[in-house]
Amino acid sequence: MAELKKEEGAADPKLQFAPFCSALEAGFWHQLTQKKLNDYRLDESPRNIKAYYCNGDPDGLPTRLTLEFSAFDADGPTPAHCCPASGTLYNTNTLEAFKSTDKKALLDKAANEIWDTIQSGAAVDDSSVLNRFILLTFADLKKYNFYYWFCFPALCFVEGVQLVQEPLSLEKRFTAKQISSLQMAYDNLCSLTGSTAVPHFLLKYTDESVHVAPLKDFNSFVKDLKKITVGVYDPCTLHQHPGWPLRNLLILLAKKWGSQIDVVEILCFRDRTLQGSRSIQHSIVFQVKLPDLSTCTVCPKSVGWEKNPKGAMGPRSVNLSECMDPKRLAESSVDLNLKLMRWRLVPSLDLDKVVSTRCLLLGAGTLGCNVARTLMGWGVRHITIVDNAKISYSNPVRQPLYEFEDCLNGGKFKALASVDRLKKIFPGVNAEGYNMSIPMPGHPVNFSETTMAQARQDVEQLEKLISEHDVVFLLMDTRESRWLPTVIAASKRKLIVNAALGFDTFVVMRHGLKKPRECRSEDSSPMSSSNSSSCSTPAVTTTTGASLFSNIPGHSLGCYFCNDVVAPGDSTRDRTLDQQCTVSRPGLAMIAGALAVELMVSILQHPEGGYAMASSSDDRMNEPPTSLGLVPHQIRGFLSRFDNVLPASLAFDKCTACSLIVLDHYEREGFQFLANVFNSSHSFLEDLTGLTLLHQETQAAEIVFVSFSSFCDAHDIL
Amino acid sequence: MATAGAGPLIGPGARKERPFRWMAGERPSASCYLDERTFRLCCQLFLQHSVTIQDGWSWEEIKVADEGFMRKTVLIPVRSDTSHHQDVCSVHTGNTESLTEELQADVEDEAAGVQSVCESPVVLRYEYHVVYSSSYQIPVLYFRVSTLDGRSLSLEEVWSNVHPNYRQRLRQEPWDTLTQQEHPLLGQPFFMLHPCRTEEFMKPALDLAQTQHKRLNYIVTWLSVVGPVVGLDVPLSYITAVSAPD
Ligand SMILES: [Zn+2]
Repeated sequence: MAELKKEEGAADPKLQFAPFCSALEAGFWHQLTQKKLNDYRLDESPRNIKAYYCNGDPDGLPTRLTLEFSAFDADGPTPAHCCPASGTLYNTNTLEAFKSTDKKALLDKAANEIWDTIQSGAAVDDSSVLNRFILLTFADLKKYNFYYWFCFPALCFVEGVQLVQEPLSLEKRFTAKQISSLQMAYDNLCSLTGSTAVPHFLLKYTDESVHVAPLKDFNSFVKDLKKITVGVYDPCTLHQHPGWPLRNLLILLAKKWGSQIDVVEILCFRDRTLQGSRSIQHSIVFQVKLPDLSTCTVCPKSVGWEKNPKGAMGPRSVNLSECMDPKRLAESSVDLNLKLMRWRLVPSLDLDKVVSTRCLLLGAGTLGCNVARTLMGWGVRHITIVDNAKISYSNPVRQPLYEFEDCLNGGKFKALASVDRLKKIFPGVNAEGYNMSIPMPGHPVNFSETTMAQARQDVEQLEKLISEHDVVFLLMDTRESRWLPTVIAASKRKLIVNAALGFDTFVVMRHGLKKPRECRSEDSSPMSSSNSSSCSTPAVTTTTGASLFSNIPGHSLGCYFCNDVVAPGDSTRDRTLDQQCTVSRPGLAMIAGALAVELMVSILQHPEGGYAMASSSDDRMNEPPTSLGLVPHQIRGFLSRFDNVLPASLAFDKCTACSLIVLDHYEREGFQFLANVFNSSHSFLEDLTGLTLLHQETQAAEIVFVSFSSFCDAHDIL
Repeated sequence: MATAGAGPLIGPGARKERPFRWMAGERPSASCYLDERTFRLCCQLFLQHSVTIQDGWSWEEIKVADEGFMRKTVLIPVRSDTSHHQDVCSVHTGNTESLTEELQADVEDEAAGVQSVCESPVVLRYEYHVVYSSSYQIPVLYFRVSTLDGRSLSLEEVWSNVHPNYRQRLRQEPWDTLTQQEHPLLGQPFFMLHPCRTEEFMKPALDLAQTQHKRLNYIVTWLSVVGPVVGLDVPLSYITAVSAPD
């Protein structure tokens, strides 16, 4: 609070004033921005603006000069019970100009103007001209940085002002009768002047009553120059100090009447209404020895530049990008909506986990578009899209990231156009598109050196992308194209969310997440029927009936290919799923795309993530494992019945994509192995995994059949 | 925000049942809505009382649009005990640090306060705007909180300045309808309490008044309910002193 410093050697204490601190409403900066952009442009000439101050603050608030959005309307109204102050705005075009502006000259100029009004007597007629301010600004509208420096010019007495009588509160100085008489007299003066606040006024009083008059009535009102009291509308709340506006008033008094007045009594008029009850008794009264400036002809020294928050003489700055930068606004609005969902609906929701998840979308068709949009809805910032197709005329009506224009001239690449659109929808997204093909089993790449090199490059690129992301979405429209990312992601222990469409059926599933490599051997099952390795993933045949389809931990869950008894590459088999999206019911992609993202979010909310045990349809009545509910392995939907089921299935030790033998070959031989798969018929993988053998053994086929029929209703879409 | 994901889930994820809400276009009764003229009349009466108790409400006219809104600003010193004090008060100095140094010598200081005293309390400015929404045909409460340099606080910063004792209560409705939106008349970002829930809490009050043959000033009733949610007090005297427009 008050920091009193007595001048050394001074017998009487000197009067000290509380300086104004600048108070800018957020709207002021918005308005300055508008003015700069539409009106001032590069014109640096000074502008008239206005501010106000009030004397009704409760204790503890700083003495303020306030500028609102209305500050640029220099002739506009002043808020009720406030005093206006007129100011000059110097808005520079560059930070250089802001720095190099001669602050002393600006202050001298304003001080001289005030001095002129004092000398001419204009300040006696209208004392509000004593309250002036300067505002120097530079608006960096690229970065939304606003540099500003206020000055509240105050003319100074060289020796200061001596206190003759220490400040007392009005209630200690006046009787209750005098106080109410003063209040009435002040209100009368207000209505006489047609305002709700008077900056300076004269008082005289007896024990019985108090009279007030405007400053200009000095000669008629003041009869006894030995007993003169001046009232000042005082914005300060300190009990021992007046605010800034008294300073120039004292100069005025000293210049005009300094030769006749020795001691002047000052009433710092403070007038507040709290909870409907008005009080002026906390005003302060004191007496000072008035210096004589009557013979002074040059403007006294002046001060007034505001200190910065560190207490040093220097400008202030404020960055308003959060409320001005449209991109930041979009970001904060998006975040806010999500946070509100958390606050209100799901208090334990870990949003950061969702927002910071890096998502790789393989496929930018109907599924890809809908998955991307739902990810944006969840605030996911890092989205990468891979596709090799161009946008065709049939796409925009079903693929919500494209427009008619995108189809013209052969069509834009989906991977690139979709990413552009995402950025248009929300500039805060960190999206990248890769126009590339994903090599597929049974689709030879060995026609030439060039095609081999291209395939190698594509594989490397895909491996790199999968490494760089946390979740991989398989959203392609062919079964074979899901094989390579399934293998790579399984090997890299990345979570896969897979969505595939039939005509009116869909499957959305998470692939089982293999255990981290270092602990996999501990888990090896001696009972495993798999003879390929001692450390095998759990196999169908080793699992007891009770736990066959329930309580499957995340690392034992199957992948998209686990349910197959044929290797990918033979497109004659599965007719229902993975056909051209255009043969799906149009709503299906939106449903499945949305479910794929929601499944990912639920997995992320589970403490074990991708290792979370699969919830099943039966768990619908049980305590859900996450704040968002269940974490199923698969969601299979039947639009004809408007029904979803939640089957779970085990990883198959002869799976053509995620079985250990496939992963081992991939990890050991790398591209050479993959090239063999691409270039060979489907029997290559079937031979490798033992499926061929399995086909020949009837009892084994029955086991597979068991695993099939266990998908409750699922078998009818397989 | 709609009741997202209200599915057949049971457990913590399940939401408590909300009263059925009418969709846009169908209305149960006209009582929850008011036309713009009534809005202005209600505000006028509200402001008349504000003048007598001087609690700072004013009418802001937007000249070009012939529209206006009711407005109040409240300044609150920041509690020194709050751990978020730093966040709120931290001044974005950034690259101005050097600027300060450079310019320091340029300007005369008043010899370390020979004639001035120092005070540096930190203050937050709460701005409340009552704006008529012609699409919802009800008043909407906008607000923002800023520091004295004009920087608006994020909702988290606002939240951190809510006394912990109140947080639990405030976590309840209708904080869940807070959104960030442009002020329709000023074009600046504000927080607003979304009007979608207004009917829920206005209807019982209006129905009660109807059965008791009382006429309520809509603004008074509505603001007494929504104001406290965002720290805006509406003195009891409004309820007794402010009448409904004829
Ligand atoms: Zn598999």
